[in-house]
Amino acid sequence: MKILPPTLRDKKRYLAFELICEHDVTREELLREMFSCVGSLIGDVGSSECGIRILTFEDSKGIIRCAHNKTEQTRATVATITHIGGKRVIVHILGISGTVAGATKKYLEGIEVFTL
Amino acid sequence: MVKPKFYDLNVHSIPDGKNTSSEMAALAKHLGYSGIAITNHSNTESKPSGFEANNLEMFRGIEVVSNNPSKLHGLIGKYRNNVDVLIVHGGDEDINRAAVENKNVDILAHPITPKDSGLNHVLAKSASDNNVAIEFNLDAIFIGRGGRRVHALSYFRKNVEIARKFDVPMVLTSNAVSYFDLRAPREMIALAGLFGMDKDEAVAAISTVPAGIISRNRQGSGFIREGVEIIDVEDTIKVKINGSGSEPKEAGGSN
Repeated sequence: MKILPPTLRDKKRYLAFELICEHDVTREELLREMFSCVGSLIGDVGSSECGIRILTFEDSKGIIRCAHNKTEQTRATVATITHIGGKRVIVHILGISGTVAGATKKYLEGIEVFTL
Repeated sequence: MVKPKFYDLNVHSIPDGKNTSSEMAALAKHLGYSGIAITNHSNTESKPSGFEANNLEMFRGIEVVSNNPSKLHGLIGKYRNNVDVLIVHGGDEDINRAAVENKNVDILAHPITPKDSGLNHVLAKSASDNNVAIEFNLDAIFIGRGGRRVHALSYFRKNVEIARKFDVPMVLTSNAVSYFDLRAPREMIALAGLFGMDKDEAVAAISTVPAGIISRNRQGSGFIREGVEIIDVEDTIKVKINGSGSEPKEAGGSN
């Protein structure tokens, strides 16, 4: 199928985040916990509008994608993540950008994750 | 626009919480706060440990707990001159009322009672007259799940509506007992949006309103001049030079 012209594509925002935790967390664990929190806070309808997706996650840093007008809701949702695999965590949003490259360059490169 | 300074005025440390004040401070600094107040409960009878922090303003606070309004007024009188932030542990109809009627109280914490939102037009009027801020403890939203969170959200929504109408100051706090209970200021603002607080109100509730409370109280007994204050008068007089000071733009910001 032909891809949509740029004006009709969904506009997105990319949220750079760090995961503050005592133990290493895998991408799968984070993914599972995140969707459980999204489901519980905003439900299926809200999730579909937000379009939250984890793009990259390594070394406790990563990028979440969401709809361009739902950044506040996405922030609130990730703030409700308290435990991953039974261990306490904090997801801290470092910044929001309109492109993956922007988010990586501005907020993730050379950033040291806070260690407890 | 100048980047606002954020404050969290309800944070618990050992022995109320699980971490020391300096651990809480280090994380709060990392998350972007300019200052936090350590407000342990008055019935735990101990001074918070490790009260040093780099580049972060630490405020002495207390969360006064009592189940009797007249005893509460006594306790408030006892602690008032020793702290920067005086919080009343709410959640009971009589205590909520006593707290908002006392001018010496800065914040009424978690006013939600088992039955209702804990705030009505009468209490809101008193709170507004006596300049007692109403707390929105966001831990109820980011830690709570299911029915408890639903209740918290709907009561918070009601309280925002009442506070707006009567011009009651509002503060957002984490009510943290562990450093994993802290959230960055922007996340706190986003969470406040979930129960109908608009962006400007939420930013004020975590920056200018707390700053106003601090500057109002800092000019008390130990205050000498801007940036200089006596922090301990018991054994020797130590004068703390407060590097950052409080900037003039925030003066009277809460009113």
